[in-house]
Amino acid sequence: MKRHYWVFGIFILFFMFQGEKIIGQEKKEKKVMYGNTPDDFFPYNNFQKAYKYHFLEPVQFYGAGREKLPPKDIKEVRIGFLGPLDGSPIVPLGKQMLNGATLAILEANRKDGYNGIPYKLMIHNDVGLWGAAANEVVKMDGEKVWVWLGSIDDTVSHVALRATLKMEIMMVCTGDPDPTFTETSIPWMIRVISDDRQSGYALASYIFNKEKHKRVAVIRTNSRYGRVGIMEYSEVATRLGHPMMIEERFNEGEEDFKMQLANIQRSKPDAVLIWGNAKESALIVKQIRAMGMALPIFASDRVVSEEFLKIAGSDAEGIVSTSPYNPDADNPKLKKFRADYIKQYNQEPNAFAAHAYDGMNLIIKAIQKVGLNRVLIRDVLTDLETFQGYEGVTGKIILDGSWNDIGDVFIAKMKNGKFNYSSTPKMKRHSSKSVGY
Amino acid sequence: MIFTRFIKYLKVTVLTIVIFSICFLKFDLNAQNSSIPVFGNWKNFTVKDGLPSDKTYCVRIDGDRVLVGTHDGLAVYENNTWKTYTSEDGLAHNGVLSIDVCKLTGDVWIGTMGGLTRWVSGKFENFNQFNSGMPNDLIYSVICDEKYVWVATGGGAGQYNTHTKKWEIFTEENAPMHEPWTYGVCAGDDNIYIAAWGGGVIEYAKKTKKFRDHVDPDGNMEIDLFPDDGVVHDITTGTSWANGNLWVATYFGLSKYDGVHWKGYFDHDSGLASNFINYVKAEGSVAYLCTDKGLSCTDGTNWVTYTKNKNNVNGKVVFTKGENIKEITMSPSISHNFTLGVDIKKDVIWVATSKGISRGELKK
Repeated sequence: MKRHYWVFGIFILFFMFQGEKIIGQEKKEKKVMYGNTPDDFFPYNNFQKAYKYHFLEPVQFYGAGREKLPPKDIKEVRIGFLGPLDGSPIVPLGKQMLNGATLAILEANRKDGYNGIPYKLMIHNDVGLWGAAANEVVKMDGEKVWVWLGSIDDTVSHVALRATLKMEIMMVCTGDPDPTFTETSIPWMIRVISDDRQSGYALASYIFNKEKHKRVAVIRTNSRYGRVGIMEYSEVATRLGHPMMIEERFNEGEEDFKMQLANIQRSKPDAVLIWGNAKESALIVKQIRAMGMALPIFASDRVVSEEFLKIAGSDAEGIVSTSPYNPDADNPKLKKFRADYIKQYNQEPNAFAAHAYDGMNLIIKAIQKVGLNRVLIRDVLTDLETFQGYEGVTGKIILDGSWNDIGDVFIAKMKNGKFNYSSTPKMKRHSSKSVGY
Repeated sequence: MIFTRFIKYLKVTVLTIVIFSICFLKFDLNAQNSSIPVFGNWKNFTVKDGLPSDKTYCVRIDGDRVLVGTHDGLAVYENNTWKTYTSEDGLAHNGVLSIDVCKLTGDVWIGTMGGLTRWVSGKFENFNQFNSGMPNDLIYSVICDEKYVWVATGGGAGQYNTHTKKWEIFTEENAPMHEPWTYGVCAGDDNIYIAAWGGGVIEYAKKTKKFRDHVDPDGNMEIDLFPDDGVVHDITTGTSWANGNLWVATYFGLSKYDGVHWKGYFDHDSGLASNFINYVKAEGSVAYLCTDKGLSCTDGTNWVTYTKNKNNVNGKVVFTKGENIKEITMSPSISHNFTLGVDIKKDVIWVATSKGISRGELKK
């Protein structure tokens, strides 16, 4: 009989450990692969299991500060803004971002601000001496902002991000598409715009799986935006068996691209992908057509702009890009935002305006919920629960474990002088059997 | 009858678990007998004790005094009292992130959020982007190396020659960095090692003035394919060199480089308190690691980690060697688990934390 007791004990032990294992597996299956990356696109997925997978779980902030009481004598609730407002080729994008953020502030103040105290935007230009963004974040700390919104240029955002970690001020990024921005493990930011990882996946899938191209040439800006932006597309293209035929580069401000395009022509591609700012991309499109190349043209999402259309004119017909939101979506919030924005600023909002509007509204809701404490504002914006799936004017905002927006991106195709928006091709997302799980 | 049988089954189960634990989770009581010094008798200082701010960023022991960088000024501890210096006294900015003392001259170099300050003979001399060739005003790290002062900033690394009074700046244009974002710098042997955000470690040979970069060979930010093939991640936050070893802090784990081989350490395969490492300081064969979950110390094999309990001043010391773990309680423990800076001299350790600064004494 005693022997039966021992058997029972061992039986219990066995199930204790098996149970843990089973529970562990169930937990793991619920995880979202970083960047919502399809199995086929994940680095080394077909060859080697990595020793360590990052970004599966959000990094928490374990520092002090939650216990700090809110000040009693403030007359305004300060929120920082950092963007290209002067001296940069992307000033038009920065101004739209500022407009979107300001509109959200105006609306909140019309609703009595924060418990009767008005919100005030503390505006900073991110263009200046080396590492200017770091100095601007220091200024925001001195201004006692509770949280800040920005920026677009990745060289700015990265520098600001490291500074914001030291100052411990939450950063809500609504304009920088650099995939590496959220690959830093810094628990003081969220990004509420899809990045070039999502755009790269969408473009590669569209180009190779839907359109069945095989020989794609690339021409990109020689800036960090071009180098890092094309990276995800390039890696996916290689994994799908279609590495870039040729990669030509140009400098921002350049206007004659005939040399690079002649090299591309000699490589006999069946399509071209342009990665650059609106102006240079438009000039490249015109020169491609002027050289007699009739092949399909794809481009990064900065071509989805009035500036591009104005310069490229009819040569833009048929060009395909991605867009981080669909301005024609049947979304009542979006329709109201567009109407209000046009009334306020007498122009159509672009993606940067719309995302800044959503980002600022998240900031305001966070402050309304937890009050004036930088750490608590951080906590609620990063908890992946309170605002997960938030329905903004740009659609549903879904963040992964690195607080990167993995919500929908759209294919934007130029037809009859207008961009038409559609869903991206369906991609086989990760399975629970993927490596790292 | 059923109840009695149930109790019997329960007793056997408990006994089995105990035996299992003894057999498979045996503690190695020799785990703490390593080269790593163990500190205790912690004394913690906050605003109540005279600090200008509870948020402390860095600490430097300078002879009989201790210099502490805080969010609201430089605090100096001497003769059991604290004295604060701020921008009103001449400091470049109240936010003090890094401090070093020149061995040759005794000058104190202070990296702030708004410029670099030299403190000599009671006077403050400030350097910034406008009045000197400094790369950026936000100084994450400053070190003195012979006649040179090195700074790490978001606008590049800077080398100041105190004799010629000239700056030389290192960015992506003249060094093998992708971007000019540097966040840590240390001197070791004949080299300077710069922690470059996204660029791994940049090694600068002082004799030849040549650069060499050390990056994670797998080329991907979301994984570490092999742990010992290079620095564990290209996002590096600090470097420290001692006894022929370079220690590299990242927000993804720790790396050690002996000049030939790299070795990676993570919180799941070592005694490291957390992969999120704010600062590293090597002293002799030991690396002191300021993480967001406590202070870890290692010689590469043995680990000692100090943590504080959430709801009281007490904490514990965890000794780890391979699979063997031993814990002892400590009362009181360090001031806060979010550690940002550390300095050690002989039998005393100072730890800068998110909520005050801690002083520990070597346990005999």
